[in-house]
Amino acid sequence: MDETKFTPKIVGFLCNWCTYAAADLAGSSKTEISPLFSVIRVMCSSRIDHNLLLTTFFNGADGILIAGCHPGDCHYDKGNYYARRRYALLKNVMDTLKLEPERLELSWVSASEGKRYADVVNEFSKKIEQLGPNPIKKSSVF
Amino acid sequence: MKKKIGVYVCECGPNIADKVDIDKIIETVVAANNSENVEIIGDRHKLLCSAAGKVFLEEEIKNKELTHMVVAACSPRDHNSTFINVCKKTELNPYLYKMVNIREHCAWIIPDKDKATNKAIEYIQGGVARVQYQTELIEKKLDTNPDVLVIGGGIAGIEAAISLAGKKRKVTLIERSAVLGGKSVFLKELLPSQAGKEYINKRIKDLTDNENIQVFLNTEIEKIIGFLGNFEIILSDVTNKDKKTEIKTGATIVATGFGLSDVTEFSNINYDTKDEVYTSLEIEKMLSEKGKLKLSSGVPPKKVGLIHCVGRDEKKYCSQICCNYMMKIANYFKKQSAKIEVKEFYKDLCLPHKDDQKLFNLTKKNGVDLVRIKEVSLNGTKIKYSRIDGTIEENEFDMVVVAPPIIPSDSTKNLSEILDIPLDEFGFFQEAHLSTNPVGTSTDGIFIIGNAQGPRGISNSILMAHAASGQIRTQLIPGEQIVPEVKVSEVLEAFCMGCKNCIDVCCYGAIYFDEIKGISVVNEAICRGCGNCVASCPSGSIRLKHFTNEQIYQEVIEALK
Repeated sequence: MDETKFTPKIVGFLCNWCTYAAADLAGSSKTEISPLFSVIRVMCSSRIDHNLLLTTFFNGADGILIAGCHPGDCHYDKGNYYARRRYALLKNVMDTLKLEPERLELSWVSASEGKRYADVVNEFSKKIEQLGPNPIKKSSVF
Repeated sequence: MKKKIGVYVCECGPNIADKVDIDKIIETVVAANNSENVEIIGDRHKLLCSAAGKVFLEEEIKNKELTHMVVAACSPRDHNSTFINVCKKTELNPYLYKMVNIREHCAWIIPDKDKATNKAIEYIQGGVARVQYQTELIEKKLDTNPDVLVIGGGIAGIEAAISLAGKKRKVTLIERSAVLGGKSVFLKELLPSQAGKEYINKRIKDLTDNENIQVFLNTEIEKIIGFLGNFEIILSDVTNKDKKTEIKTGATIVATGFGLSDVTEFSNINYDTKDEVYTSLEIEKMLSEKGKLKLSSGVPPKKVGLIHCVGRDEKKYCSQICCNYMMKIANYFKKQSAKIEVKEFYKDLCLPHKDDQKLFNLTKKNGVDLVRIKEVSLNGTKIKYSRIDGTIEENEFDMVVVAPPIIPSDSTKNLSEILDIPLDEFGFFQEAHLSTNPVGTSTDGIFIIGNAQGPRGISNSILMAHAASGQIRTQLIPGEQIVPEVKVSEVLEAFCMGCKNCIDVCCYGAIYFDEIKGISVVNEAICRGCGNCVASCPSGSIRLKHFTNEQIYQEVIEALK
């Protein structure tokens, strides 16, 4: 790998009903989005657990974005509130893992916010590019 | 057995074909995956969602004896169901197929063709890896009961019951009080110069005459268990709690109406019972009972003041119907005698219906003085107000009418616990989605209509009755079975330690505790498949079908290669 240029790998877990739809809208509006960002569709942001997030970091993700419906707008009533709690908990222990907390981000993007989706993803991608490579890649027993 | 995985890339006209190198994609995917155990059959097609495209896929699945299939095309939100239906025509279980979005998430957002091609390969590789970890899921069919329980005998409930009842669908309507019709029976005119009391009375007669509707007065719901298509309900008599009736239905409609706030709870409204101050509903009752609007002395009023928007700032929502009916009341006075001086005080006007403007023009033409105000206070029958330009004035009236805010019916809180339907910040029932499904709730098969959901006028309440009725007619067709969601959670018995975390986080009450085994059990008919319980489980003993850890990991690993 070329050591002078860092191309980060960023994974986005998007809820099917709001943010995945926003990503579709950004696509159909032909908005340019960073190719460094990989979309994984889940039904609800509340499906994302610590196990999944940590495995993704250990396997080399330089950044992870969790995105779902706005508070009060969850397709499954309150799933996004649970996602927020789990996110806050992991964010608190990331320092202990020698992983910068900025590598994990949670955002609310509704189905109609295609433009905002592009902004959130592109800004996050830029931030991760500046942060540099994930320091704990492949450091785990997983 | 060797896996034969079909990978089909849709050109989507020029939408995908021009933006990525499809031949390179297929070549790369075939080369990367072909092995002793896996054979990739890769091909491209002009438009897979077209009739010809669907036949092409069907033939491919049959002739090539595919064990799995990946379709790389547009968003699964557009055409996932199209290709699931193609699978259903063949031997291939639809859950052994995976759709990959290379249009919205590749072709349309990455201008560089090489980069877009590589991104498409990454996503398709994720799909090929994932689909091998997917398992067959079998859709089950459940018998359903098409009958409906309607809670509340006001206009919304009556309309819903009449709309739904038929030879193959029985309706039970329960009403807490001893009379039908709710608050609308007090109204002389439902809307100015439209249907009046006769309409309500006719609909009550239609309801009671309908042999497919059973009405229980003085009756409340005591308990409900079940899910869409199969509810078991216990009703109890208000006057004799031991008198219970058990019924079974497929759906329940909540039409419990509204309450009216006591206006004297607001600091700017002060009056005594001896003062000539009336609420709008009291005016309607007076007119219905006596035929004329009179002061308690028996003489008609000469100067009347009407106050809109009472308590709106305190309640933090607009009651929506007051502007309309206050103008109706102003016109009652003017109709009684053009000489009666009528002044209306409002902060903002809410006139959302297409004929409201006509009513507004008529009200002005009839000589009603409409005054826009910033603040207002009432002392006895003296109204002090500040106009929009800041000038403060005070007028004495011999009769005052106030519009109290619409509040949730007093049964709402108790009912929300029985039905397990959450309330919104104002205490009304929480709808599934304010703009896309205002009559649905967090529980499939339980609907909210009329003022149970929030302040609504009569026409809106009737509209909601028909909306809920329409949903029930399509969801519960008499004699037909329903197919519940198959991508649901399941508890792996051996690993569950009985902590009940999953039961706490489930928003649908879909998980119950088996006391004998000491483990959680998912009721598949209720589960919606969000996966919240999976993330809450400390022992990893819950699995969301079609979104298992192993399946998601495959996509993650391919994304990180």
